[in-house]
Amino acid sequence: MWEGLDIKEIVEMAKDPYPSIKEWAERSGKKVVGSTFADAPEEVIYAFGLLPVTIMGTTKPLKRAPSHLPDNACSLARSNLELVLSYAGDVFHGFVLPQVCDTTQHLSDIWRINLPGKYVESYLAPRQVDRPSARYWVKKELERLIDSLSNWTGMKINDGELVRSIAIHNENKALLKELYELKKKNPSSLTNKELFSMIKLSQQVDKEEFNRSLRRIRDTIKPRGDSDGFTDIVLAGITCDPPEIYDLFDEIKLNVVGDTLLIGTRYIQGMVPEGGNPIDALTERHFKRGFFSPIHDDVFKNFEEMKTIYRETGAKAIVYVHIEFCESQEYDLPDLKKMIKKEGIPMHVLDTEYQTLSLSHVRTRLQAFFESLKGV
Amino acid sequence: MTEKITSKELSKKITEEYLDEAFHAHEKGKLIGYSTAISPVEIFVAHDIIPIYPENHAVANLTAKKGAELCSVVESMGYTSHLCAYARSDLAYRATGKTVTRGIPEPDLFLACNAQCFTLTKWFQVLARKGNLPLFVFDTPEFIMDKRAREEIVKYCVIQLKELISFLEEITKKKFDYDRLREVIKYSAESSILYKKFLDMAQYIPSPISIFDALIGMAIAVYRRGTPECVEYYRVLCDEIQEKVDKGIGVLPKEKEKYRLYWENLPVWFKFSDHAKLLGSYGGVILTSLYVHAWSFEFDLDKDPLVTLAENYVSRFSNSTIEDRASMALELFKKYSMNGMIMFMNRSCKAVSFAVPTLKDVLTKKTGIPALVFESDMGDQRFYSEAQIRTRIEAYFETLDGLKK
Repeated sequence: MWEGLDIKEIVEMAKDPYPSIKEWAERSGKKVVGSTFADAPEEVIYAFGLLPVTIMGTTKPLKRAPSHLPDNACSLARSNLELVLSYAGDVFHGFVLPQVCDTTQHLSDIWRINLPGKYVESYLAPRQVDRPSARYWVKKELERLIDSLSNWTGMKINDGELVRSIAIHNENKALLKELYELKKKNPSSLTNKELFSMIKLSQQVDKEEFNRSLRRIRDTIKPRGDSDGFTDIVLAGITCDPPEIYDLFDEIKLNVVGDTLLIGTRYIQGMVPEGGNPIDALTERHFKRGFFSPIHDDVFKNFEEMKTIYRETGAKAIVYVHIEFCESQEYDLPDLKKMIKKEGIPMHVLDTEYQTLSLSHVRTRLQAFFESLKGV
Repeated sequence: MTEKITSKELSKKITEEYLDEAFHAHEKGKLIGYSTAISPVEIFVAHDIIPIYPENHAVANLTAKKGAELCSVVESMGYTSHLCAYARSDLAYRATGKTVTRGIPEPDLFLACNAQCFTLTKWFQVLARKGNLPLFVFDTPEFIMDKRAREEIVKYCVIQLKELISFLEEITKKKFDYDRLREVIKYSAESSILYKKFLDMAQYIPSPISIFDALIGMAIAVYRRGTPECVEYYRVLCDEIQEKVDKGIGVLPKEKEKYRLYWENLPVWFKFSDHAKLLGSYGGVILTSLYVHAWSFEFDLDKDPLVTLAENYVSRFSNSTIEDRASMALELFKKYSMNGMIMFMNRSCKAVSFAVPTLKDVLTKKTGIPALVFESDMGDQRFYSEAQIRTRIEAYFETLDGLKK
């Protein structure tokens, strides 16, 4: 189902992948396990013959979520809740929900209580990463998740199954990395929307199938016009939604050459070292990914990471995407802005909500920012 | 004959001595450690680090109705109005020096325990960055309802407490004294039993205390636990309240006490006494909340001190599942014979408030008691609508009356 997709089909499917996931599950007889951001070990879920799907909100109207989460709750959390309560609940047989902040902690409880009959397991990610105890805890949580999935599915997995799953996931990330590199050098070969749709869909569909699509695209991709006239930018933040934001970037010829997003580089960075004990390798991977505000306690790291990407890629500016009411970002941003400004790096902050219907204000501000940049 | 000291006088004395010591900490070779109100502060006390709770200082300013003014300052610094009013007012205090108190001493280090909330961790990160100071995050995963997982969570927390001790030893260049820790926990255990006894006096009809008394009474448990003076304070307080019980003195006279209410969340600090008067005029007394019970620890002195600390701090209501929170609240409903509930959706406190709608559903279903839900902010007056809240309280009591008929 996902092995023969061309770029256009991927973009289309990434907008609303749930009908195809449902059809795939019915056809294959496999179960679908949803996860929210971030860091759910999808390789483990996949090794059980389940389909791990990262849930990334909906642009459809909120109907039921507001009665569970108030309007100052993280826009992504409300949107995800709405998606499972109103629009795509029947797609999922169970959920593995990482807890990384107060909101995701409550979300686990709210989902469990409101979705009786579904498998709901919490993945208690450590909210500190610099001490030895964090490594201890990631490993313990991986082992607990394996036990929990075993109890639910009635299956046991061995190292071989885990190793195979890791290889499939690693290949997916390697392919995305190659495509990203191609796009950086030749922005006309792949639009921002197309690249980020591939990364998004990779987190939602069967990777063994989807890798075939990605391989073919990599082998056949060609520049589709002039690659001149693009402005290289770094995209920073946690996620970037609604996806029409990428259309705006494409429209004003911005070329994302680096990012810190969970739906971008931070996902690709999650390649698992192969060859050793798979649980140890998965544990190690947790600490190799880039900055993620809820689990890293040092915003200087975020600044250093953004600065390094900016310098190494030779980008002209940083565009920071702020999800409305993400408390973690809201505590970091004022200092981050100051540090970036002090460094002399142009930065534009986009405030977004998952239910945003009109991006006209974003377009106007973005255009004004880049016009002023050209004038510098 | 010497006059018996009252709990109010004792609280004032303990607080003044504590702040005096804190303001002169460096002269005495001691460090100031900022801490979340829920955190294993016994480790600080045992290591001669003076704990300071910026939340308490924020409460003083918010209760004095300085919230909107201070919060506006911090918004001009780029922070949004959706963040915790404690954090906003504190950051504004640091920028302007404005406070209704003498202020609080500057920190040397930070301890953030996320069993209370993640907000404090982020707030402390801002302060730690500002002063380039060390911060220790005591990460307490949600105390999920699985026995084996709980055992592992406690083990993880114990490992972290050992890391905390090493962190403090490194900073102070002083060896940690476990015997002293045992002694400190003994005081905490003793004061916790007395504090709980004080809170539980709300069982009496009429109740001799309301939640407003509990909120005043909890202050010493928050910032002086682990000390003999804390034990002494609750002994005096319990004796005073017992005297009221013996004389049949209630917050309201017995014949006027119609509604014995549960409160969910922190209080609306700047409406503290207004709410007590308003509810009282209808015959309502708020008796308790899970919030005030957050400092009712049950330390087991027979256990390894780090284990009993970990078990207690990780299992606070704010780090428990909504199902467990509901069980804790239901126990209070039964024990205190409550017949109403006010569920406050506090914009400032996401850690508590995001559970409220689901908690309300569970509690109303299990008790058959309707709930009054209202949204506001614990410290920022701009999110408070007096007329709306009055109307809703009136309507709520009418509903409860209707049920009685």
